[in-house]
Amino acid sequence: MNGNKNAPIFAVNNIQKSFADVPVLEDISLSVEQGNVVSIIGPSGSGKSTLLRCGTFLETADGGDILYNGEYAMKDGVYVDKAALRKFRSRFGLVFQNFNLFPHYSVLKNIAEPPMLQGVSREEAEDRAMGLLRKMGLEGRERAYPSQLSGGQQQRVAIARALAMNPEILFFDEPTSALDPELTGEVLKVIRQLAEEHMTMVVVTHEMPFAKAVSNRVIFMAGGVIVEQGDPLQVFDDPQEERTRQFLRVFEK
Amino acid sequence: MKKLLSLCLVFALALSLSACGGSSSGSSSAPAEKETAEAAETADTEETMTFIMGIDPEYPPFSYMDDDGNYTGFDVEVCQAVCDRLGWEMKIFTVNWDQKLVQLDAGECDCVWSGMTILKSMKESGYVLSKPYFYNTQVLLVKEDSDITSSYDLEGKSVAVQLGTSGEKLLQEDLKDLADTFGELVTCDSFLKCFTELDGNAVDAVLVDLPVATAYIADHEGFRIVNEELGAEEYGIAFRSVDQVLCDAVEGALADLVADGTYAQIAAKYPDIVDNLLFLNE
Amino acid sequence: MTFTAMVLKMSEGLGRTCAIFFLTLLFSLPLGMVIALLRMSKNRVIAGITRFIISVLRGTPLMLQLLAVTYGPYYLFGFNVPRNKLIPVVIAFAINYAAYFAEIYRGGIESISKGQYEAAEVLGYTKLQTFMRIILPQVMKRIMPSVTNEVVTLVKDTSMAFTVSYQEMFTIGKQIANSQTSFLPFVVAGIFYFVFNALVDYVMGLIEKRLDYYD
Repeated sequence: MNGNKNAPIFAVNNIQKSFADVPVLEDISLSVEQGNVVSIIGPSGSGKSTLLRCGTFLETADGGDILYNGEYAMKDGVYVDKAALRKFRSRFGLVFQNFNLFPHYSVLKNIAEPPMLQGVSREEAEDRAMGLLRKMGLEGRERAYPSQLSGGQQQRVAIARALAMNPEILFFDEPTSALDPELTGEVLKVIRQLAEEHMTMVVVTHEMPFAKAVSNRVIFMAGGVIVEQGDPLQVFDDPQEERTRQFLRVFEK
Repeated sequence: MKKLLSLCLVFALALSLSACGGSSSGSSSAPAEKETAEAAETADTEETMTFIMGIDPEYPPFSYMDDDGNYTGFDVEVCQAVCDRLGWEMKIFTVNWDQKLVQLDAGECDCVWSGMTILKSMKESGYVLSKPYFYNTQVLLVKEDSDITSSYDLEGKSVAVQLGTSGEKLLQEDLKDLADTFGELVTCDSFLKCFTELDGNAVDAVLVDLPVATAYIADHEGFRIVNEELGAEEYGIAFRSVDQVLCDAVEGALADLVADGTYAQIAAKYPDIVDNLLFLNE
Repeated sequence: MTFTAMVLKMSEGLGRTCAIFFLTLLFSLPLGMVIALLRMSKNRVIAGITRFIISVLRGTPLMLQLLAVTYGPYYLFGFNVPRNKLIPVVIAFAINYAAYFAEIYRGGIESISKGQYEAAEVLGYTKLQTFMRIILPQVMKRIMPSVTNEVVTLVKDTSMAFTVSYQEMFTIGKQIANSQTSFLPFVVAGIFYFVFNALVDYVMGLIEKRLDYYD
């Protein structure tokens, strides 16, 4: 599954999704190139989380295409079969707003078990996990259980867990929204570090300064459509659309 | 060990307390001692006395539920006649047969009158017992095609008996040696279950009172009674130890009923037992 | 009959009481899981039928179910009544308790957040792996107190086997009480049940402690 070398790592074309006849995503198209960081901002209910969940197959889109490396996971609203979909899952990682760590597993097992189930040896999986924990600044916490960690630490474990699968792209669904303000910094710092290492990422976020500083591209969504997108400096400092200006004004205060 | 002992004591205390509680609430309308019995009998100015008859509702033909759901049977009809004669109001209380004496003591009923075998232990415990009115034996009920022809054939077989009946008692005491030859002794909590076990081939014989067996084969085909009497016994009525007066009143009324023929009239309705009624054969 | 003889005689029935207890747990704990999964089936017909069966099993007395299992085949089809009453007794108990366990399991499974399933799915866990590794261990811990409750009730419910003349400890106690016109066998039975349940409490406490490695 090497795909097309020149194709974007992740792309959606004209994706649609309704919940009980209420459209949440209307013809959204988007592509993410290798090494890029794309931030998706917008008011709640704008469809940005739904977009991420459709891209990661947690929600079933009603129509459109989903591609990884130019390969169709969904074409014209039709998904590939389950086995093929499973292979697509190994290409991305997802970090949830509520961490969703497994509370009955130690930190180490949270990170090491998923690769082991894919055939990675215990030794290698645990080595990888220890390395990631070091990188996340959580050295020595591998025996702890999630409930013994702060929210910020838990989210960093969740990021390590996603990275342990060696994904080609990492999705973040509001990774700091469930955290106390003083804990958001440590998580954002880790994401920033990943960006510097050219990890391909899509981040749904409300942290405007972060989005502005880290992203290669910013997408502003509202009412299920992409209202405006482009270079972060342009979107934040010189928005073209009135709705973008309205939205950003709230954050300036 | 001390702890365990005190625990036992607490438990026993709780049990006895709950038993007392039951008796005081159960007997609010039926005083434990029927002091008014004589008064009610002689003076009709007194409030009508209520006499609560304790029966096993699954013991035909002495006491059972008829097709309309009313309690009837030889004992029930005789008791009704006694109450009518004495001007008492009769009520029926269905006892849990293996707890009948406890329930009597608790005042839930004023007598146990339901084809009840008079046991030595009842006399020893001080219960007031009426004169016996029925002579009974235990018999074996088997399937028609059974190879059992006497109690000697029961070796290694399964035998059912109802819990709390004289049959069960017999097997524990006088016929213990016989019971020890059984393959299994199955104790059921009703005769219906004993017979179901027999019909369903789970047991090979049922040890049961003669009249019950006679009444059963009259209604059901495919069974026979083994021609052997196992343990003779007599039926009577049990009252609380303080109720000698009550017993006397009932016995007096019974004598009147025998004298005026009412007793024989009732007995005629129960041909299965009429031969063994002692008052009619004196 | 001496007190010692009474206790000895009743102890004979204790083995049968234990047989009902352990065999019922052995069959009802897994069967309850099967029923719970059928009850949560996406197929509405299966879920509906299972729901109905559960409501019948929970809505009718165990005593009635014991009678139905033991004598039902005889009355309906003329089958022989089983000689060894342990079989119908365990069948009736296992089915009845499975219905209760099923509802406990269902409550436990439904209390696990959707996020746990989603995280497992994204991390490549199969449905079976998700259930066995992620969901079930968490469910076990959450339902332990309710399961302990049922197990304690089961100890006492074994006495109901007397309705089908199974000679367990309480049935023997009743027989002795009757022949000796004494309440003592009931006191002995009460102590037996109490000690049995004290052991059950102790063991369940150990299990709960073992599951208590995380919050």
